[in-house]
Amino acid sequence: MQNDDTNQRLQSYSRRLFLQRASLLTGMVALGGGSYLFNPKGAWAAAPIKVGIATDLTGPISWGGIPNANVAKMVIEEINDHGGLLGRPVQMILEDTATNEQLAVTRVRKLVTQDKVDVVFGGITSSMRNAIKDTIVNRGRTLYIYPQLYEGLECTKYLYCTGPTPAQQCDTFIPWLIKNGGKKFYLPSADYVWPHVLNKYARKVIEANGGEVVGEEYFPVDHNEYSATVNKIMSSGVNVVFNTTIPPGVAAFFKQLYEAGFGKKGGRLACVYYDENALNITPAHEIEGLASCLDYFKAVNDPFGNKVQEKYTKLYGTKNPMTAGSASTGMWRGINLWAESVKAAKSVKREEVAAALDKAKLADGVGGGCEVVPGTWHVKMNMYTAVAKNGKYEIVEKSKGMVDPRECVKA
Amino acid sequence: MSSIPFVFDVLAYGAIFVLVVLGLGVIASMMGIFNFAHGEFVLLGAYTVYTLGQQGLPVWAGMIAAPFAVALVGLVLERTVIRRFYAAPIVAMLGTYAIALALREGVRMLLGGQFYSVIAPMVGSYSLGDVSISKWRAAVIGITVLVMIASYLLLTRTRFGLQMRAALENPALARASGISTRRVYAATFTLGAALAGLAGGLMVPIYALNADMGVPFLIKSFLAVMLGGMGSFEGSILGAAFVGATSAALPWVIKPVVADMLVFIIAIAIVKFRPDGLLSMRRS
Repeated sequence: MQNDDTNQRLQSYSRRLFLQRASLLTGMVALGGGSYLFNPKGAWAAAPIKVGIATDLTGPISWGGIPNANVAKMVIEEINDHGGLLGRPVQMILEDTATNEQLAVTRVRKLVTQDKVDVVFGGITSSMRNAIKDTIVNRGRTLYIYPQLYEGLECTKYLYCTGPTPAQQCDTFIPWLIKNGGKKFYLPSADYVWPHVLNKYARKVIEANGGEVVGEEYFPVDHNEYSATVNKIMSSGVNVVFNTTIPPGVAAFFKQLYEAGFGKKGGRLACVYYDENALNITPAHEIEGLASCLDYFKAVNDPFGNKVQEKYTKLYGTKNPMTAGSASTGMWRGINLWAESVKAAKSVKREEVAAALDKAKLADGVGGGCEVVPGTWHVKMNMYTAVAKNGKYEIVEKSKGMVDPRECVKA
Repeated sequence: MSSIPFVFDVLAYGAIFVLVVLGLGVIASMMGIFNFAHGEFVLLGAYTVYTLGQQGLPVWAGMIAAPFAVALVGLVLERTVIRRFYAAPIVAMLGTYAIALALREGVRMLLGGQFYSVIAPMVGSYSLGDVSISKWRAAVIGITVLVMIASYLLLTRTRFGLQMRAALENPALARASGISTRRVYAATFTLGAALAGLAGGLMVPIYALNADMGVPFLIKSFLAVMLGGMGSFEGSILGAAFVGATSAALPWVIKPVVADMLVFIIAIAIVKFRPDGLLSMRRS
């Protein structure tokens, strides 16, 4: 009798367990690993507007992807707190592209075909953007907004770039470097598309301002031994090292440059993706005097930026800060520009939103306001030159008004 | 005078490679296991130094603790996973690869994908006229030589070393002679892991701590073991010295991107002509 009882209990237990597991499994299959759905809080009568965020939450680029997703979530929650868009709530569907282009295409395809999102934000590296843009823009017929600083030359209809371009990062920065460093430049770089194209532009600006490029050298992306280059830099009297090697290799490079005494002998180190996040990569004394040029630094100390920064830190802590070099400010700008355009167009249809986006403006924002340059899919914004001192940045120059991206301009 | 930075660079990078390959070489040559998680053992060593540093401990204390911490991880993995693979080397490769992925992504999660710097116990450089020699890199060369000698003596001069070699050459006979091959294998794997941990701890001030720091070393380390010849511990050290030195020396004369490839081409050419490795010590 008792035996039967136990059996029965066991059976019902396992049935319940089975049901639990089955529902969990169905949920996992439905969403796929690395998919996250963020439903708007509260009760809404209207169907949600769907926003797809595709970014690298895992893999080597996750240092940028994690804060990107955080910023997106924060901004979308803000929009919902203010009554959503067109009376509809905004739902965010986050996909982990895992720093893997093949996987990313599948994830993005899910966003546009299965979830039928109204817009996709994301991608950090240029290779990622190139991998997913066709799936979103052409086959998916969806609007795509790319938030990271990049090498330019992306002139695709319905693809808006909200991060700085080479013109924005070089036009004011290089003259400053020549004035505050010297005329002899060395360009050590990682061997992929961004440094190659950026260097071409930088070289033009250096030469136009009376400077000279002593050397331009490319390393495998994960290279970690730079003595030969450091020796060339030290023996050829270089004033400015305009670096585009990237993590992890950049840590070894800056260390070797420091140990060879480059900074001590008056050399100026420059790196246009270095932000607050990157300060962890190298000990402060090794990059004393490093100059960077971005659309935002905490040190800009603008009331608007401070408020956003404060909220972000309260929500997500300081481990993955909101910075400019890792596409976070571009993401902030992108979502807000898009939201304004949806309001102006009174629609989420691609054609209508794109038309509104083409002349979209933000009066204020992180690091100041910004506006889309009509017909170019790029954004005008303020640029700041900052120098690292004791592990913090000090702003040394602000652009006079917004700087033109100078992309996709018909000659 | 200009040859000093070159010679120092070749020595320093060669030393780092030897340090990384020591542990891999011990496991590959003594157990016939290609440990794809070796790069992640190096990473764990680096992570130990960083974490203890966050707790307020000095860097050198972390460096002493790193080999022990990673040895413990190695021991647990050997007892639970690796020991099932001794009969199937190919499966072992896949198994260790899976372990590598789990460890790497685990550390990545702990670090939030970020990069962190660790300051070396010796900062700055020695000046010889115009030339600067990094203090910490010089120290790493010294420590590598010591570790190399200690490992060699352990394998050739001690009772444990004898048991290890016996267990490799003829496991059945070793068991018949009262050697617990099970225990010897566990100890060997633990030793290999400890050496990786030490390498990671010493390396982390030179590179930044990040989840992928072991990856660039892995493939070149296998190249070193292949070059040195499987089954020969001295061979893998020689192979490592060769791979490290050529990787450092070639960018002085040709483009770094080409140099990276050339290291492989040269090494593969050598393996073609000396398939048993540089030392050609055939073991049956």
